[in-house]
This record gives sequence, C-alpha cells and structure tokens, in this order.
Amino acid sequence: MHELIRDLRDQNVLLVHPRDRSADEFLQQVKRIGCSFEHTWPVPSTLPNKFDIVFVDVTDQSASALKIFMGKREKPITSIGILGYENPSVLEMTFEIGAHAVLMKPVRAAGVLSSMLMARRFHSEQLRFGKELTKLREKLDNVQKVNDAKFILMRHRGITEREAYELIRKQAMSKRTTTTEIAHSVINAESILSNMGDS
Amino acid sequence: MTKNESWKIGLLFSKTGVTSIIEQSQINGALLAIDQINAKGGVRGLPLEAVSYDPGSVVSRYGELAERLIVENKVSVIFGCYMSSSRKEVLPVVERRNALFFYPTLYEGFEYSPNVIYGGACPNQNSVPLAKYLTSAFGQRIFFVGSNYIYPYESNRVMRNVLRQAGGEVVGERYFDLTTCAEGFTDVIKEIMKVRPAAIFSTIVGQSCIEFYRAYHAAGGDGRVCPIASLTTNEGEIEAIGAEAAVGHITAAPYFRSISSIANRRFLKAYEQQFGSIIDVTSCCEATYSQVHLFAAALEETGEMDTDTLREALLGKAYDAPQGQIKIDPDNNHTYLQSRIATVNEDGEFVIDLKVRRAIKPDPYLVYPAIHDWSFRTQKVTAGGGDHA
Repeated sequence: MHELIRDLRDQNVLLVHPRDRSADEFLQQVKRIGCSFEHTWPVPSTLPNKFDIVFVDVTDQSASALKIFMGKREKPITSIGILGYENPSVLEMTFEIGAHAVLMKPVRAAGVLSSMLMARRFHSEQLRFGKELTKLREKLDNVQKVNDAKFILMRHRGITEREAYELIRKQAMSKRTTTTEIAHSVINAESILSNMGDS
Repeated sequence: MTKNESWKIGLLFSKTGVTSIIEQSQINGALLAIDQINAKGGVRGLPLEAVSYDPGSVVSRYGELAERLIVENKVSVIFGCYMSSSRKEVLPVVERRNALFFYPTLYEGFEYSPNVIYGGACPNQNSVPLAKYLTSAFGQRIFFVGSNYIYPYESNRVMRNVLRQAGGEVVGERYFDLTTCAEGFTDVIKEIMKVRPAAIFSTIVGQSCIEFYRAYHAAGGDGRVCPIASLTTNEGEIEAIGAEAAVGHITAAPYFRSISSIANRRFLKAYEQQFGSIIDVTSCCEATYSQVHLFAAALEETGEMDTDTLREALLGKAYDAPQGQIKIDPDNNHTYLQSRIATVNEDGEFVIDLKVRRAIKPDPYLVYPAIHDWSFRTQKVTAGGGDHA
C-alpha cells in the first residue's frame, strides 16, 4: 500500500470556500474520509503551517491574491482548486496558482478522496524531482570541477588523466576533504599563478 | 404518483443466475416486511406495493431496470443489489433521478452517495473480528481465495493488513471467475493441500462458492482441521453445500439464523409462516427485512416519498432488528451493526462462537483498521445462547 493512501487520516485539510451546499458536502466527505479539517472564508491573508492540503474556491478570485495567500509558508502546501467554471481563463488561473488537482462544483462526495490523493502524489513527486534535480546539478558541477583540475595537473606535471585523478583523490584523503574541494583549490591556485605571470 | 392507492417501492434482486440464491432470500426478506407492515394497516392507511424486476444476475441489467422502475413505474424508492458491480450500475441512475436506494448487502466500503442507504457490513464491522478469531484459534498462515471482482480484492486488502497486525501471513492468493465450477478449483485445492495453511479466507461468492466448498471437501479438506472462513457464505449456501461438506467452516456476519433472541424468533416464525421454511434466511435477507422496516418507519413520519425528506427522517433512525438494535449512521448513511462469528456444526447450522459487545459504528473510509480497537472486542457466546447471542 502506498504511504500516501496509508497516511490519509493524518492529513490536516483546510477548505477556503463560501459556506454553501458544496462546502457542506465537501466537509462531510472529509469527515467520512477521516482527516481533520477546518473551514475559512473569505480568503485569509496567511496560511498556517499546520495544514497539509488546501482546497480553495478559485471562482471570482484573483490569481495574485491566491498566490500571496499560499506563498507565505516555509513548507509548500498541496493545493486543489475548486472550479465553478471549466473555461480557459479559470483553468489558466489554476495553472498560475500552481494547483495540483481540481474539483468541479457542485462538489459531490465521490471524487474528493481521489483528488486529494492525486494532488498529494503529484505534489510530492514535484518536490522529489526538484530535490533530485538540485542534487544532480551540484554533482555535474563537481564532476566538471574535478575534470578541470585534472587537466591543470596533467599539463603542469605531464602525467596521465588517471594519475592526475589519483593525485587529487590522495590529497582529498590526507586532508580529510572532498575531491571537489581539492579540485577547487587546484583551479584557484592555477588562476592565481597565471594571473601573477600576467602582471 | 399513485399516492392515494398505495406506496410503490421497487425491488431489484435476481431470481435467476449466479447470485440468485442469496438475492432470492433478499426478496423474501423485503416481501415479509412489506406484508407485516400492510397487515398492520400499511403506512398512514395505505399499503406498500412492491414492483419487482429480475436482472438475472447480469450486471448491466441492474442499471437498466433501475431506470425502468423510476421512469415507467414511477417508483422513487428501490431496494436491491448484492454484488458491488451491480450497485455501481444503479448508483448513477438513482443519483441522476434523485431516487432513494437501499443496499442491504455487505460490501468493501469507500463509497458514499446521498441517494444510498447502506444496510450491510463494511470491513471494519466484520473483517477485523474474523481476522482476530482466525489467528488466535487456528494459526498465522492464511490462504486467500476470491471471486474476480472488486469486493474480494478490497476485502482481501483489508484482511491482509489486519492479519499482518496480528502476526499472520498470507501464504497464497488466487482469484476465480464467478462461473467457475468444481473442476476449476482442482489446482488451487491441490496447492492448498500442499501449503497446509491454518485456514482459508474465501471471498468466493454465488454459485461458485458452493462449488468451492464441495471441491475442498471432495479433495479431503476438513473444516474442523483447516476451515474456510468467509464474510459472505451464509445459511442458504451452507444448505446447498450440505452439512457433511460444510461442517467446521466459519463465517463472520451481523446476523445468523441461529441467534437466540425474542426478535429473531419472532422474525423466523413469521418467515416460516409466509414461505414454508426458514432454510434460506441469511444475513442479507435480514438486512433487507430491517431496511424495509426502517423505510416504513421513516415514511410514517414524513407521509411523502420525497427523497430528501425521507433521507432526513432515515438518518439516525434505529430499529430493533432480528440481529439486535441497528441504527443508520447520520455521518455516512451506513448502518451500526452487530458482529458475530459462527461455525457450521454437524447438522449444517451455524453455531455462534463470539459476538461483539455492542453494535459497531460503520467506518466505510477506513484504510487501515486497527486490530486492537476496543470496539472489536468480542465475548464468548455460551451454548445456551442467552437472549443476546
């Protein structure tokens, strides 16, 4: 069983929606699902950190106001847009505010659970991909640095690529640091030395 | 509407086809309740009148006939369905037409419709007590067999999880077509004999359920040594399987025919008077019977068939059913039910071993039932039965 399905009842849900029949249907269904929940209207200025998922009525709202409301948080929140109209401008707005799923009005019990799960899944993957991308970029950057350092050493010492790498690795080990750090120092030293020659 | 002559209600159960044994018992439950209500003068002086169609156990026919009941027969209250797949056919019809649909069958949960009143058990009301019982009385290694549709999948998912919490282990899992005959089970029974589980958990339903129990017996399987445990196998099916092949097997359900209580004795007596025998009285039959009574009580209150008004009257309504007191949960349209575990004896009758202390609240959206929940605590039922067995 996927952890997102398993942990369903641990979720704290906020509904930002006028208190009408759709809101009642929605809140009752969230109660059946077993999540804790709160309701608020109109759109408040801040979004407390305790909430994990926000359902927000985007009908007749401005994208900028909603973005400000959802953006003021340390931890990004999973968001689901509740749509009154399925037209291009409303859909454009759900894109703009970065909603992870949508729910159509009038809200019925069926569909709430699926939209919650799809949004959580989409959002958690988005976060994971973002993290992985940052990590990969750093790694690529490091590989590039070590390569540059290797070529500097090869040129200066007339050694092979393998020998140059061994040299960097040994230095890193004896100085108890990373190969990237050593590569960085080599590149710095090289640039200082060559600058000295110029002046 | 034909308001000045009678209150029309629709019945949508199969009299023919693979699930007809159980669905016929549901029709009888409904008819008995209707007759009892009419014998007392009906509802607000008018009798209830059943309009019944036979979908022949064909899933797509349920939706078509629900539509016909509403459009042609002008019926706005329907009792019907056994399998989840047939309920899913009826659901969009009753929602679109805003009719009220009573579903008197256990099912896998994860559904709510304002147009449906759910009268059978969901997994938290029967799977958890059964898993506890199996692992404590028989052992940790359980083999799963099921029919190939949504109820067995979801039911097994819940069971697997509850078993794991009890330290149990699923040692095999096989699914079969609803029309599977005895020969179709040869291989899996060989496998079961080889694996030697502590018990078999079966969600095989309909005619093939009977075939499976018989095939297990024919291959030397003995319920007193390694029982088949089920949530669906009931009195009607045990009767068809025969006492010799059925002895020792276990079922968990809110109701058994052998409950010793005044309400049940009264129910059985009336049933026998009407149908000549109580052989096919099952938990689904009792659920249908109780739902018709709940509906009639609500109608007495509202005096009109309007769906929204009736629903308001139904939510929270309690009834002293043959199983004990039940109540429609206003949170989710499901029903607070009793929970019992029974074993088939040499005479082919269920003997109740355990029951929970009080009706269990339905929790249709429970992903992970907790086995140690206090509400699932059971008590031993003594041989005499007592008033509350």
